[in-house]
Amino acid sequence: MNRTSIKNKLILSFLALLLIVMVVVGAAHQITDNIATALAVSAAAALAAGILFGGIFSRSIVRRLNSLSSVAREISHGDLSKEIPFLSRDEIRDLEEVFSAMVADLRNIISEIKAVSAQIENTGRNLSVQTEKVLANSRKIDESALTIARGSEAQSLIVQKTSLILDKNLEQMNEAARQSAQTASKTNDALLKTEAGEANARKTLRYLEDVLRQMAENAEPIYRLSGKVEKIKMVMSVMDELSQKTDLLSLNASIEATRAGEMGKGFALVANEIRNMAEHSRDSSHEIRAIVDDIFRDNEAVIGALKKSEDHINKGRRVIHGIVGTFGDMLSGVKEISAGVKEVGDVARKQIEEMRGLLDQFQELSRLAQENFVSTQKTTIGTKNQKEEIQGIVRASNTLNALSQKMIQTQQRFRLRGA
Amino acid sequence: MDCFVFEAAGKYLGIEARYIYRIADEVRPAPVPLLPSCHVGIVYYRGDLYDVVDAGRLLGKESSLGKGNPYAILLKWNQRKLGLIPDRIVGLEWIDHTRIEKNAFTGDGRTIQMITPGDIWKILSDLPYGH
Repeated sequence: MNRTSIKNKLILSFLALLLIVMVVVGAAHQITDNIATALAVSAAAALAAGILFGGIFSRSIVRRLNSLSSVAREISHGDLSKEIPFLSRDEIRDLEEVFSAMVADLRNIISEIKAVSAQIENTGRNLSVQTEKVLANSRKIDESALTIARGSEAQSLIVQKTSLILDKNLEQMNEAARQSAQTASKTNDALLKTEAGEANARKTLRYLEDVLRQMAENAEPIYRLSGKVEKIKMVMSVMDELSQKTDLLSLNASIEATRAGEMGKGFALVANEIRNMAEHSRDSSHEIRAIVDDIFRDNEAVIGALKKSEDHINKGRRVIHGIVGTFGDMLSGVKEISAGVKEVGDVARKQIEEMRGLLDQFQELSRLAQENFVSTQKTTIGTKNQKEEIQGIVRASNTLNALSQKMIQTQQRFRLRGA
Repeated sequence: MDCFVFEAAGKYLGIEARYIYRIADEVRPAPVPLLPSCHVGIVYYRGDLYDVVDAGRLLGKESSLGKGNPYAILLKWNQRKLGLIPDRIVGLEWIDHTRIEKNAFTGDGRTIQMITPGDIWKILSDLPYGH
């Protein structure tokens, strides 16, 4: 668009005025020859033309400037709905356009400010709600942290108590392990003594076997004597039988002699003597038998005593066999006990190790509980600080809300188009 | 008079020696049924058959068997033969036959009851079965 500047307008006006002055000067020269008059008329005409042109020109500029200033006044009152009329194409038009653009920009800015303030208000409201929520959550966290802290404290106490109990148990287990070791040592001693006892019992058994063998060897002549006595008794029986036969024979001879009468008297005498001899022989035989019986009885008594001794020794041997067996059983029992005690000791040691591990873990747990307690304390302090900060945020948000309200109120002073 | 003295039923009994045929040992009588219980049995000895009688049981006392005397007194008289098992045989004793009565006395103070084989036979004959 072709613009006409004020300078050009002024130049054109001046040129038009100069033309008019020249025309007037020419006309004045025509009318009068008086120069002065012609000059005065020309000057008056030029001055009048100048005043006229100047008046028209200034009036045009002032009117537009007034229009602009009235719009500016309206804008200053917040009315941004006014449009600036473009009446010319000169530098004022530029001013009007710039002004109009400024108003448009201001309108946009106000609109944006309005939107932003609305957003700020919403955000502030949301922020308030969120901060309230955060505050409530913070309170909950605080409560939870307190609960956790109390729990941690209680847990720490429990862990410490459990650690003490475990420590005591560990001491008891150590005592048990020590006692188990002592028992193992004693069972070892018992094992050695039982082995020694078994060896002694076996030695006694061997001695007893020797004694028994010796006794059997010693008893051999006595048994032989018994056999001989038996033979003597058999011989004595034969002698008895002989004496009986002799007695019978002499008796029958006496009877025959008696039957023979006087003739048989001498024979009867002989038979009687034979009978007497047989009786003596029988008596002697009886005496010998009695002596042999005594010997036999004594021998039997000796044999009986030997057998009794042998029986006793056999019983003793059986007893010692039993003792050896018992010692064997005791040995195996003591070995089993020793193995059991060793196993108990191993188990106790393993339990002690496990208890120690458990105690370490409990101590670690106690440390963690304490750390947890400290952390929860810190969390509580942090949540308190956070609460204070959130309260600061709430205050700031409230302030922001108040400011946004104020801004809205301020921007409501501006009237926009279509609003 | 020679008298054969033996012990039975707790007393000394004497029999005139002429009735004694033999004193036998190892006598094993064969039992005979349906006879008195004192009748031990019969025994064959040197061609003769003898009735053997337990003297103790015959006289109503305890048995003479098994008292350690294995002898049997074999008697022969009037064609009769009897074996007598006493408790113990004492032997031949001489007794004054002029003073002989039911009981005789020996020099050592023993009282001997004199019996004859006929007395013994009579006692045996009078016994019922099973006595």
